[in-house]
Amino acid sequence: MTPKQRKLAYELITNPPPGSAIAAAKEYGIDLTLLVENLDLTVAQRLRKLYSVASFLEKLRQSNGPGR
Amino acid sequence: MIPASEKFLTILNRAEIEYVVIGGVAMVAHGSAKATFDLDVCYNRSKQNIEKLCRALAPLHPRLRGAPKNLPFRFDAKTVAAGLNFTLATDLGDFDLLGEVAGLGFYDAVYNSSVLKRVEKISCRVLSLDGLYRAKKAAGRDKDLEALKEIKGLKELTERLSEE
Repeated sequence: MTPKQRKLAYELITNPPPGSAIAAAKEYGIDLTLLVENLDLTVAQRLRKLYSVASFLEKLRQSNGPGR
Repeated sequence: MIPASEKFLTILNRAEIEYVVIGGVAMVAHGSAKATFDLDVCYNRSKQNIEKLCRALAPLHPRLRGAPKNLPFRFDAKTVAAGLNFTLATDLGDFDLLGEVAGLGFYDAVYNSSVLKRVEKISCRVLSLDGLYRAKKAAGRDKDLEALKEIKGLKELTERLSEE
């Protein structure tokens, strides 16, 4: 993402055009800042971030097992 | 177990398997912020592709996820040809193999709704945002409503940014 695109992205999610899909997503409660952060990454970086989060969640899930 | 997607994709590519990444990993590849615990792919059900798929995955010891341990299951071309969609656990993580995707159809239709993505040195076909929208809409689960909103928002955001 170029600096110009990044600026536009934050403008779009801060004040989405009325009636747009971005506005609908924001109204629904989607965290648009996370989407912009991800769009700023390469596909490989997005997947690594996913597995870093998912690994942590998996460990958390396992720590909630019986008797823990 | 969480799949090591890049290792998986390398194995599939080396074996020249015809597949398209779908589901949560495809969503993330497009920029979604949703966490997912498995890798879903739609595979071509040609005899040759099924045989290559079974040969390539055999070293990962695919077994049916959530099935009783004593349930006999042999991951081979005969089993895959006789079935369609499989939810598997492997040594590299959970892996769903779909012959058909709701809202889209079989491999050819899914391929036609896919885009080429590069994950560093790996190239793979990934279901497009439009394709993901159709699949999620057809699935019609409560959890998909949020995904539909996210996909539409992402698509608009991506399109507007690409105009810059």
